[in-house]
Amino acid sequence: MVKYILKRIAYMLLVLVILSFLMYVIYDLIPNDLARQDLEPQKQDLIKQGTYEERYAELRLKYGQDDPLVVRYLRWIGLAKTNDVYKGGNPSSGILLSEGKYDGILQGNLGYSRVKGLEAVDYIREPMANTIKLNVFTTVFTLALTIPLGIFCAVKRGSKRDTAVQMVTIVGYSIPVFITAILFIWLFAVVFPIFPVSGMKTPGSDYVGMRAFLDKLYYMALPSIVMIFTSLGGMTRYVRASMIEALSMDCIRTARAKGLREKVVIYSHAWRNALIPIMTLVIGWFLSVFSGSIMVENIFGLNGVGRVYIQSLTQSDFEVVLALQMFYVSISLVGNLIIDLAYGFADPRIRVDR
Amino acid sequence: MSNNNKKKKGFFSTVGGWFRRMFVGTKADIDVLAVEAIVSPGKQIVKNFFSRKLAVCALVVLVAMFLLVFIGPYFMPIDLEYINNSQKNASPGLNMMKVPSDMKDQIASISSKGTFTVGLSKDGTVYVWGSTLYDSTGIDFKNIPEAVVNSNIKFAAAGKDHAIAIADDGKIYGWGVKEHGQYGAESSMSEIEFMAPILLGDILENETIDVSNVKSLECGNQVSAIVTNDGKAYIWGNYMTGAKNQKEFKKLDNVDKVVFTNKTAAGLLKDGTVVVGGSGASAFESFDLNGTILTLEEVINGRKAIDIAATDDNIAILLEDGEVLVTGNSLNGENSVPDFGGEKLVKINGGAIHYTGITESGKVYSWGSDLFKQSQVPEDLGSVDNVFVGTYQNYAVTENGELVDTWGLKGYLFGTDNFGRDVLARVINGGKMTMTIGAVAVIVSSILGIIIGCISGYFGGWVDMILMRVTEIFSSIPFLPFALILSAVLRTRSVAEDTRIFMIMVILGLLSWTGLARLVRAQVLAEREKEFVLAAKSMGVKESKIAFKHILPNIISVILVTMTLDFATCMLTESSLSYLGFGVQLPRPTWGNMLDGCNDSKVIQIFWWRWLFPALFLGIATICINIVGDTLRDVMDPKSSAER
Repeated sequence: MVKYILKRIAYMLLVLVILSFLMYVIYDLIPNDLARQDLEPQKQDLIKQGTYEERYAELRLKYGQDDPLVVRYLRWIGLAKTNDVYKGGNPSSGILLSEGKYDGILQGNLGYSRVKGLEAVDYIREPMANTIKLNVFTTVFTLALTIPLGIFCAVKRGSKRDTAVQMVTIVGYSIPVFITAILFIWLFAVVFPIFPVSGMKTPGSDYVGMRAFLDKLYYMALPSIVMIFTSLGGMTRYVRASMIEALSMDCIRTARAKGLREKVVIYSHAWRNALIPIMTLVIGWFLSVFSGSIMVENIFGLNGVGRVYIQSLTQSDFEVVLALQMFYVSISLVGNLIIDLAYGFADPRIRVDR
Repeated sequence: MSNNNKKKKGFFSTVGGWFRRMFVGTKADIDVLAVEAIVSPGKQIVKNFFSRKLAVCALVVLVAMFLLVFIGPYFMPIDLEYINNSQKNASPGLNMMKVPSDMKDQIASISSKGTFTVGLSKDGTVYVWGSTLYDSTGIDFKNIPEAVVNSNIKFAAAGKDHAIAIADDGKIYGWGVKEHGQYGAESSMSEIEFMAPILLGDILENETIDVSNVKSLECGNQVSAIVTNDGKAYIWGNYMTGAKNQKEFKKLDNVDKVVFTNKTAAGLLKDGTVVVGGSGASAFESFDLNGTILTLEEVINGRKAIDIAATDDNIAILLEDGEVLVTGNSLNGENSVPDFGGEKLVKINGGAIHYTGITESGKVYSWGSDLFKQSQVPEDLGSVDNVFVGTYQNYAVTENGELVDTWGLKGYLFGTDNFGRDVLARVINGGKMTMTIGAVAVIVSSILGIIIGCISGYFGGWVDMILMRVTEIFSSIPFLPFALILSAVLRTRSVAEDTRIFMIMVILGLLSWTGLARLVRAQVLAEREKEFVLAAKSMGVKESKIAFKHILPNIISVILVTMTLDFATCMLTESSLSYLGFGVQLPRPTWGNMLDGCNDSKVIQIFWWRWLFPALFLGIATICINIVGDTLRDVMDPKSSAER
């Protein structure tokens, strides 16, 4: 088992390297002259002093803009040293301004937000907390709703109530989240003004402690409801399908033949068998909500990672985009790893130790 | 059929053959097993499918929608550059030209400059129709002030965002927007309904006007004018935008008629001269005659004018010898005056971008823009005595005020958006874009998925190993963030819009083939062990031919289902991307980007048609596709249908 886990982790790291390189190549496709951007505000002064060209060359050397793609990639990862910066950008001048060092992701440098003037890590920290809160909250609620609903539908398969639920879920997963969001805003913020339309907290409020928490909860409520509703459809259908599969197994017939109570048959025998595919789904889905909340955060103006991502994209703040992209890729890879391992643990028949 | 014959068949007939065998069955089978009526699996599937009412309904709706969005654009093409501020946020309905039945045979006057129309009947009642809700101000022109309803109104006219009425007791009423002095005290927000003396100066006595002296009332873009019988013109309202040259009229005392373009006023004097231009309106003073610029005076050359009319950008002058001069910008062909068949016009009227004139014998001609069919005079329209012209509408009436016929813009079935564009046309054209992108993306992803899945499943070994690792890498790419960054990269690289859209289709396809590849691989693995493959192998059929020609047809049903469901997913992804502003860019519509800017409570509440219709179409399309796909899966899998 340990060997298997190690093998999977090694494989995951390999994929991560491939994907991060792919991302870096895409990032590199964007025309982006960092040195010029840096000097733009003081360009006139520097030209007057006659040092613009010199400063420009220095910065180009510092950012390594003339180096090959692979070198720059390694630098970004933190596996290669940055250039030694010489005066005038010319190593032959011999005047060393600053020494090169390892300064990449491995050293904890995720990049720099040029728009906000902040380290990407500091910029992302608070939105990340918000996003995780929103997603965990949504996941817990969705599971609490969908699992009982799915089991119920599977047990009462073909009944009128099951058909009704099937209809609602098909609508639920067919409608994109932004339409659901608009419908819910219309219903719960315009027709019945229960929730606020957008934002993170009451404007101008300065609450502390419990009050602040409740205020935040109040603003998070509608986005959470929208997210729960959109994931309800697919999840319920999946739980129902795997439960139906489990209920048609031979062991269930045996259990019933033994005269076990229906409750025991469903919750003990069938549910355990249905759990394996559901578990995979739950993990996969939990990870997909991270990118799914991009939409919700943007519609409701929540200060989350998804909103930061879109803002950075529109403002061409690409280092932040790259950092967040890494986050999404890592989340997805870790998720796949967990799914694989969980499969092995949950189902002894799956010989993961090959 | 010999083997040679088969080889000659093209790709399409091969694929056609699969479908035929699947849904119709082959003829050869029947000869051998004639004892029992054989139903091919395909026939059974079709039969099962059509026995499900919901699925059939969904299919019918879907086909209807396909026809609508793929044929509709030919009948309803849209001009991407088109913007019309006077028609923005018009509510859905076809009532813009619907004269209320109470005033149909006693019309005194009809006028409109925007989306709503004010009509006055001969018994002194004011009627309002059209899209009466004005923008986000919350003003509804249908709410005619109580005092106007209770008075006997002699004159009524509509401007772009205000309406004015004069009662027989001499009181002047206004309603609508008044922030720019359209009525009430100048620039005041107070609730004064009749005109304050400050604006009308000496014609008001005790805040009333001598009605017998009023000749006409005319409203324009935030301005209004009263012309009296003794030749005075009183203009009030927003001078900055509505009537920049109003000063020209202050000193005149022989005014016969005043009309308004979007920015200026023009007048006809009793001696047959015209007043156009003045400060801020000099564009109307020069006249372009086949390239030579002359002043208007030179062109008129002493002839007398008998009528004038104005559209948004130009002024038409009807001269005594029957010639019609159009001065100003003729962006919509207003200056190509038609031939009146040897007759002379006696009267002209202007809409927003067209003119309508009546000849001596009562024949009606319309010219100018034909965007809303406002220049297509009905052929069976006999001789009429008067034509009232609204923004894009014409109402032909008899001498007694009976309505004969109308032509022009009926309204917008789905309303208009914040740029005055017809939502219905945009929904239809946007649907074409969304569905095309969805379809192309699905085709790209299916081709990739089928080829990779087939190769991987059939050949196994290291090929399978490598392909599956590639599949895994692709499937662990987070979809939405990746599509967003790729689209952003495209945006920075200044490619043409069409290329960009095509690239988006390919990107969507490239990111979504992994599911199908895995499915195909699993199916191929199962089929590979079956006897017919062994038979084919023993007959010496080539490996690649076995994979694509023998195994693939057997799993086409699974592929079909996945493609159907993927189509819905791709449509959703496209609209999500477009909604976020990273897919198809405005002003080119798709069902996704039409909802851009609609998550605002004001828009959601007041302008519900702007989000409801695209959302409805997108929602119904994806729901139908999913229902059809689900049902297909159920009926194709005998096990799952046995369970039901």
